[in-house]
Amino acid sequence: MDKMMMKDILKAYGPSGREAQAAEVIKQYVAPYVDEVYTDAMGSLIAHKKGTSGKKIMLSAHMDQIGLIVVAIDDKGFLRVSNVGGVNPIIATAREVVFENGVKGVTYFENTSKHGVNEAKMKELYVDIGCTSREEAEKKVSVGDMAVYVTNFVEMGDRLSSGAMDDRICCAVMAEAMKQMKSEHDVYAVFTVQEEVGCRGAGPAAYAIEPDLNISIDVCSVGDIPECDKMAVSLGCGPTVKVMDSSVIVPPVVRAFMEAAAEEDNIPYQREVLRGGGTDTGAVQRTRRGILSGCVSIPTRYIHTPVETVDIKDIDNAVRLLCACLKRKELPHR
Amino acid sequence: MLRRLEELSNINGVSGDEGKVRRYIKEAIKDIPNVQMRTDTMGNLIVHKKGQGPKVMLAAHMDEVGMLVLGVLDNGLIAYSQRGLDPRVVVSKRVVIGDDMVEGVIGAKAIHLQTREEMKAALAHSELFVDIGAKDKDDALKYVKPGDHIAFTTRFKRLGESKVLGKALDDRIGCAVLMELIKNTYECDFYAVFTVQEELGLRGAMAAAYAVQPDAALILEGTVANDTPDADDASYATKLGAGVAITFMDRATIVNPNMFKLLAATAKEANIKWQPRQTTSGANDAGPIHQACAGCVAGSLAVPCRYIHSPASIADINDINSMYALADAFLKNKKFNEVL
Amino acid sequence: MDVFEALSALTTKPGVTGNEVAVSEVVKGYYKAYTDDIFIDPMGNTYGRIGDHGPTLLVQAHMDEVGMMVTAVEDNGMLRIRSVAGVDPRVLPGSEVLVHGKKVLNAVVGAIPPHIQQPEDAKKSYSIDELVCDTGLDANEVKSLVRVGDNVTFALLPPMKLKNNIVAGKTFDDRACITVMLEAMDILKKMKLDCQVVFCATVQEECGGGGARASVWNAKPDLAIAMDVCHAPTPGTKQFDTVPIEKVAITCGANIHPKMFKLITEAADAQNIPWEYDVAVAHTGTDAWDTQVQLGGVPTGLISLPLRYMHTSVEVISLTTLKNCAKVIAGVAASLGADWEEKLCLDD
Repeated sequence: MDKMMMKDILKAYGPSGREAQAAEVIKQYVAPYVDEVYTDAMGSLIAHKKGTSGKKIMLSAHMDQIGLIVVAIDDKGFLRVSNVGGVNPIIATAREVVFENGVKGVTYFENTSKHGVNEAKMKELYVDIGCTSREEAEKKVSVGDMAVYVTNFVEMGDRLSSGAMDDRICCAVMAEAMKQMKSEHDVYAVFTVQEEVGCRGAGPAAYAIEPDLNISIDVCSVGDIPECDKMAVSLGCGPTVKVMDSSVIVPPVVRAFMEAAAEEDNIPYQREVLRGGGTDTGAVQRTRRGILSGCVSIPTRYIHTPVETVDIKDIDNAVRLLCACLKRKELPHR
Repeated sequence: MLRRLEELSNINGVSGDEGKVRRYIKEAIKDIPNVQMRTDTMGNLIVHKKGQGPKVMLAAHMDEVGMLVLGVLDNGLIAYSQRGLDPRVVVSKRVVIGDDMVEGVIGAKAIHLQTREEMKAALAHSELFVDIGAKDKDDALKYVKPGDHIAFTTRFKRLGESKVLGKALDDRIGCAVLMELIKNTYECDFYAVFTVQEELGLRGAMAAAYAVQPDAALILEGTVANDTPDADDASYATKLGAGVAITFMDRATIVNPNMFKLLAATAKEANIKWQPRQTTSGANDAGPIHQACAGCVAGSLAVPCRYIHSPASIADINDINSMYALADAFLKNKKFNEVL
Repeated sequence: MDVFEALSALTTKPGVTGNEVAVSEVVKGYYKAYTDDIFIDPMGNTYGRIGDHGPTLLVQAHMDEVGMMVTAVEDNGMLRIRSVAGVDPRVLPGSEVLVHGKKVLNAVVGAIPPHIQQPEDAKKSYSIDELVCDTGLDANEVKSLVRVGDNVTFALLPPMKLKNNIVAGKTFDDRACITVMLEAMDILKKMKLDCQVVFCATVQEECGGGGARASVWNAKPDLAIAMDVCHAPTPGTKQFDTVPIEKVAITCGANIHPKMFKLITEAADAQNIPWEYDVAVAHTGTDAWDTQVQLGGVPTGLISLPLRYMHTSVEVISLTTLKNCAKVIAGVAASLGADWEEKLCLDD
């Protein structure tokens, strides 16, 4: 994995519906290895490498990250916000955030006289950008603008932590796979938009491409941290082959295809049954006549916080797993 | 336009039973030149004015929140089922049932007979019934049958210089504005779609968007206004009289930022009063439309309505005029080309 | 056709949502008696077409059943499970189940016995996380045979006949309606039709996974009738929430095209079949919901078979009502011809 690329993709700004900057960064990295790169009406970035078999494989990873959107600016210049995607208001309190134009701010919650941060609610959250009046604030930020957590990058040996692992690490995995892979099929790497607000970008992209197979790449939660929900997935034990999440039950024929690819190349993998949360996998499956759709996940700790943590071995093995799937002649079918 | 709104507001069109509204609209626009219309199987009215240029779809929904006859009790009272109605606004209202417009009332136990606790608790729909004066179950079934729609009887009124009161202002305002826009000629392939079942989960628009497959779409809706004395800066969503509201995000759509900015710039340019819709709650037909097939760019314009989804809401005529002016400017000046 | 035999064949195969292949095979076998035009789509929906001209009527009933899935194999060989699409965890403790690993294993769902629980805890129902699935095998053997993601189903016991043509069994939701489809094929095969009927055993209804929506995109129907089970009265159920077990339930409401409702009720009345209104203000919780809004919209109807004890292993229905449902479907198909569009025209 190209670490420079990984860092650049991780730090790009791109909450749901405002993915243009992230798309631009990814485009620079992926363009040299494909035949064409374009953006669809929703804003998804599509990198297409031509093949000869007449079959089409779609890969999909979402570019968007969770964020905050300004819904009102008050007399004193504080920004009232609403969540974009699954933001926990307690975790979103006392954070450094940044807007698309580079304006920075910090978050806190109102009603501090009534309760502590552990009871903070979304509607109490606000952003302080250092202004003292509405007029002053309106020069820097408008209603409808979005902010994201300022992204760090912490290296802890094999383990890496950052604010936008979900799902930029998978964008990096997909970009790297496009560089390394060999396939006789048409391969469409789709960097989708608006996954965090209900998987809205993947369906339209799949509609236009009409692939024979889709493999989504996303993060999944784990069961190897103290006193958490039981789940048989651990960091460092390989990427997962998804069995189900709340958006999809992966067809057994697709799972078998992915597992065979992994086993043939001796790539470690884990089976994943995710309790909550949906992915683009389901949105693609529900397109047109039904599309065979599977998912590779990167086991990730602390999802939807500024310290989403992954293991570099799982990332490298995810790239290998994608390449192993793409090089297979025979695609799964009913 | 105001006369149209009055007539539209007074017609009943509970979700799934929009026929009367649709027939009114069809009759009113049938003589406009170059108009082709068809009703699809869900009941959406799809109006097409063929033209050169991109396919631009404007949409407003015909349905209103209401109730459905579930069955009749032995004593002749009618049990109902509903979607989207706050039970606290239903009590003590007049209603009509079915195509025969059977009149009835929704009563509740008299205040004299209530205990202190009962008075404090909100009534649930399951405790409320429609009374049509029937002697018993068999008598009631002569007049109504299960599945008949139940609508409120609120009559449209002018309040002072600039306000109107009526039921179903969400979204008969959008319908009235769209009917007015159809009269004009724009340089695009123009579709005006009057949708059904918006209040049940944006249902009609799913089918209509597939049929039309627009390049760009603009939704005209009525939206929540909370400019009551108790609301603070951050919670009013929209204010009556402050202009047409432009949406940046709701639960079904994140409006393409270029579209949001373009609509705001168009308003400024044409001196049209506007406000951002300062909330991300609510959802409208833009959701299914912008995700249909390979996707498209969709925006929303909204007229603030106080007491939305209740039997009587209030809106400002100036905001309605602003919505018309902004939609017209967007189409007339071919602004849609800037977001394709 | 012997409906009890078909019901037995269909309900003794596992078909947990997302993995309906074994049921699909049985359905295909029955279709073959009536048509050569059989097709399976990428979702796994299984179609059989009768008739060769006229409008296309899509008839749907879902193959999938609620069930469980292995989420972890514990060190001692016991299995952790989760529900796939809506199993009531209260019916699980003490249930005999099958684990569909490399081999099919008998097992029991167990929990902490009440004897060693605190009295107040014993009053609460178990959550599925507190339950284990025990194959009785030693840990190494379990690990070699069972993996995360394997399905767990209730024991595949054949249905039993109760009094008055009432039967009990597992997965009548919705295999009883698949049986209705087969019975309707049996009736229609003997008739001359001016329409085409595509029967579709759908997948993933129990999780809203898009089986029905794909069935519309594949069959491209002019009109559709979904079939599902609904609740028959049991003590404690509310008036208007249920339909008597001896009546065919016919749904009206926004999810249903008013003329489809009319066609269906007319087909029932013409054959003197007892039916009851099932009023749904919005979501019907069936394949009809997704079907109606696909493509440019599909005129959709819904027929339901009343059933007691839904989502348990002892669901109860009436075979008389089951056959009546088939007669209604056949009646609708027989009434369709070249004038179908006029019949479905909304009164404009």
